[in-house]
Amino acid sequence: MISLNQVSKTYETPAGKFAALKSINLNIAAGQFVGVVGKSGSGKSTLLNMIAGIDRPSSGSVSVAGTEIHGLSENKLALWRGRNVGFVFQFFQLLPALTAAENVMLPMDFARSLPFRERRKRAVALLERVAVSAQADKLPATLSGGEQQRVAIARALANEPALVLADEPTGNLDSVTATAILDLFRDMANQGTTVVIATHEADIARVIDRRIEISDGGIVNQ
Amino acid sequence: MNTLWRKAIRDFWHERARTALVVLAIALGIWAFAAVLASYAILTRELDLGYLATNPASAVIRVDAVDDDLVKAILQNPDVSDAEPRRTISGQIKAGPVQWRNLILFVVHDYGNIRVSRLVPESGAWPPAVGEILIERDAFEVAKAKIGDAVTVKTTNGVEQPLAVSGSVHDVGQAQARMENIVYGYINLATLAQLGEAPTLNQLNILVAQNRYDENHIRHVVADVENTIKSRGHHVFRTDIPRPGKHPHSDLTGVLLLAMSSFGLFVLVLSGILVINLLTAMMASQVRQIGVMKAIGGTRRQIARVYFGQALFLGITAVLVSVPLGIIGSRVLCRYMAYFLNFDINSFAVPLWVYVCVALVGIAAPLIAAAFPILRGTGVPVRVALSNFGLSQTTFGAGAFDRALTRIGGTFSLIVLALRNSFRRRLRLALTLLTLTAGGLFFILALNVRASMINTLDHMFAARKFDLSVSFANPSDYKKIERAVSNTPGIKRAEGWFTTEGALNTRFNVVALPAGTELLNLEIIEGRTLVPGDTDAIVINNALAGREPKLRVGQTVAMRIAETESTWRVVGIAREAFSPAEAYVPLTFMQQRYPGMVNGLRLALVNNDWDTISVVRTDLDRNLEREGVRARSSSSTSESRFAFDQHMLMIYVFLIVMSAIIGGVGGLGLMTTMSLNVFERRREMGVMRALGATPRIVWMMVVAEGVVIGVLSWTIAALLAWPMSKALGNLLVRMVFQGGLDFTFEPVGLLIWMLVSIGLSALASFLPAWRASRATVREALAYE
Repeated sequence: MISLNQVSKTYETPAGKFAALKSINLNIAAGQFVGVVGKSGSGKSTLLNMIAGIDRPSSGSVSVAGTEIHGLSENKLALWRGRNVGFVFQFFQLLPALTAAENVMLPMDFARSLPFRERRKRAVALLERVAVSAQADKLPATLSGGEQQRVAIARALANEPALVLADEPTGNLDSVTATAILDLFRDMANQGTTVVIATHEADIARVIDRRIEISDGGIVNQ
Repeated sequence: MNTLWRKAIRDFWHERARTALVVLAIALGIWAFAAVLASYAILTRELDLGYLATNPASAVIRVDAVDDDLVKAILQNPDVSDAEPRRTISGQIKAGPVQWRNLILFVVHDYGNIRVSRLVPESGAWPPAVGEILIERDAFEVAKAKIGDAVTVKTTNGVEQPLAVSGSVHDVGQAQARMENIVYGYINLATLAQLGEAPTLNQLNILVAQNRYDENHIRHVVADVENTIKSRGHHVFRTDIPRPGKHPHSDLTGVLLLAMSSFGLFVLVLSGILVINLLTAMMASQVRQIGVMKAIGGTRRQIARVYFGQALFLGITAVLVSVPLGIIGSRVLCRYMAYFLNFDINSFAVPLWVYVCVALVGIAAPLIAAAFPILRGTGVPVRVALSNFGLSQTTFGAGAFDRALTRIGGTFSLIVLALRNSFRRRLRLALTLLTLTAGGLFFILALNVRASMINTLDHMFAARKFDLSVSFANPSDYKKIERAVSNTPGIKRAEGWFTTEGALNTRFNVVALPAGTELLNLEIIEGRTLVPGDTDAIVINNALAGREPKLRVGQTVAMRIAETESTWRVVGIAREAFSPAEAYVPLTFMQQRYPGMVNGLRLALVNNDWDTISVVRTDLDRNLEREGVRARSSSSTSESRFAFDQHMLMIYVFLIVMSAIIGGVGGLGLMTTMSLNVFERRREMGVMRALGATPRIVWMMVVAEGVVIGVLSWTIAALLAWPMSKALGNLLVRMVFQGGLDFTFEPVGLLIWMLVSIGLSALASFLPAWRASRATVREALAYE
């Protein structure tokens, strides 16, 4: 499903060059629930960005579901992402001007994956799946953190992606809500979706299939 | 409607204050543009239409006398559609004890059948009865008279005669009486006889049958008419062919409207800059959201389309708001111009092309202004967009300039912070400075152009060493004039001059000066002035040199002066700003034809205040009458100066209004910049508050930042003011008066604008500063 071959990423900063990833080789099979763990600044988010095509490697290649994404243009990457990847952010990143349902409909609008009239129906169904359908017509500002993250997960599932990436999805949530959210990811993986989440939390072991530990831009344990 | 468009609409509503500000900025530019464009369309149409409605003469031929037979003979020419006899005569008029005013009297044979150069009755009697005079509506103010008043009129050869002012007329074709400081009067032949003049007409207003706007055709037809006149034993003294179909003021109006249109476009560009600033900030605040949209599959094109849609909406709204206001503005402007130029506007209808043009420009301007921010905002890589935590972290501190800034500002932290903060968003600062500097520059420039024009006029009038100038209708015996002068107290020096006409390719005035004249000190820019002993020497002014390329210093040229073909040696070129084409020759030349005669008198007075001039004028008139010499007109140098100042007034007003509007746009720009700066630094201000800064300190910090920008803009404007004032002043004067400018710099302009820019900056920062200081620490820190 996911294959990273000798992937390195170096950033130019005012303080000099910074190597965020160093010659990473990684393969993740379809349907796996993988947890990428490590401290802040270890390179977890950069690794996720590489897999999502949000960032490009300085060297090496990235292949996801048979597509060599490091060679795609920005536009093609966006289209590809819209159909194949669902992304969940630490700070939820719901668009504040759109209701919960509209936030979920947005990827469908981008990808034109469903007829216009069916989009809302699917959005509400997805919200129901993550147990926030009652909040469908509310703006994000009126939702709790847990509810916002549930909506973000529903949005990630909008186009039925084969891969869901989540960057610190529980980092901003209390422990009870965090557990519920992780269970949602587990459900997704059980249904065949490949899930990769980056986290620095230790208690993720109970839900994941595979643990990848990253430190100073390199995989130290998997 | 898909979710993206819903987001666009809700974003607008959420940021409604900023949306309103953008609409206001665009609307301001479109308003100015629409107002001047509509004025241009209305004025050019109405000025020429109003003028053409009077059936203006294609040519005016002055002859010795016109009788019915001559008119009939001319009308037999198939190329002549009409010919109407008239008479134009100079004189003087006074109402009550007020001093004499110069008068041009138009004598019309049949007021019931005016076909060429029609007059429009305004109020009172029509036509004037015997013993009555009608006055041009704009000339009442000059005459100091009203309908029903009794005025005294005297003509060149006639007697003083009381006439009743019985009505008012509008004579579209005449130059504005208030500007010229002259009275236009209209009488019939019987009244002319009462004034002691022969009741004859001596002017033919000719209208050609075809090709009325073809000057060459008119010249051909007029040549035929002149032959007909001469063949019947008459003399042709002079023929004038006005520019076909064009009001005498259409050039001046055209230049002013062109300047206004350029100004309208300039304001539009400035408001476009404001829009760039606002949309850049809008896009900056959307960067994270754009990153999210891209991360979940939105393409750059899909996202950019929505933001362009927003810009389109802003443009359409601004057009809807500003077009009606622009039309109202154009009416005000047109009314002012029409009053100033003394013509009527029959229709304020704005042609369709103006609406189309304004709509296109109004809609296109924000789209163009938005292009850069949108393309930049949507082009940010997803990773960068997602990691965007506000704008201040990566933009200050890395460059050499930033490091240099840290070394200036001293130890007073508030000023240091204000100075550095103002440089954090460089593009925004540059655009804000551009609008503010433009306002300052125009203001300083307006004062400089005004001062330079006054200086140029001072220079021009300094060359005229006389205070009073009297002209006689016919060459008169200078000995008699000298006697009258010597019997008039208050005169320091008198010189008899002779004014006539010359012709080469064009006609020009010729002034014959006495040898060693002390009453005219020409500013020679090439060659020399006239000296005693000169016989065939001629000095020309720069206006004539510009018109006649053959006339160059050292050249000997054959030309016609005072109806005599003679050869002249050009010895010098004199600079006379704002003057018509003129040449100076020795008086001895004219006195060969008219021995001991002059037709003009120049007087230097002991005192040159208005009261003294008035007394000398009255005494001299009386003494000249005693000697049997009748003055045709007299004017003081102060009156001429007044007329010039009136012409300049329109330019001063225009420049000052222009700088006020541009200053307003600049102020709006600064207000926008400050509110954006404050908006983006809310969290930072929260940190400062958490560290112990009082709301007052936050308030002062923002105002100080605004003032730093104001002072910066003033510095740039001050540096650019000199070269730009000189260039623009020269351009304006060359366009309007075909002359150069004696440039002078008005230092007080710098001082005034410094105070204005500091005041404006403080004012523009006040509201954002107040808002910033009102936010609670918690709110400010919660902002991300």
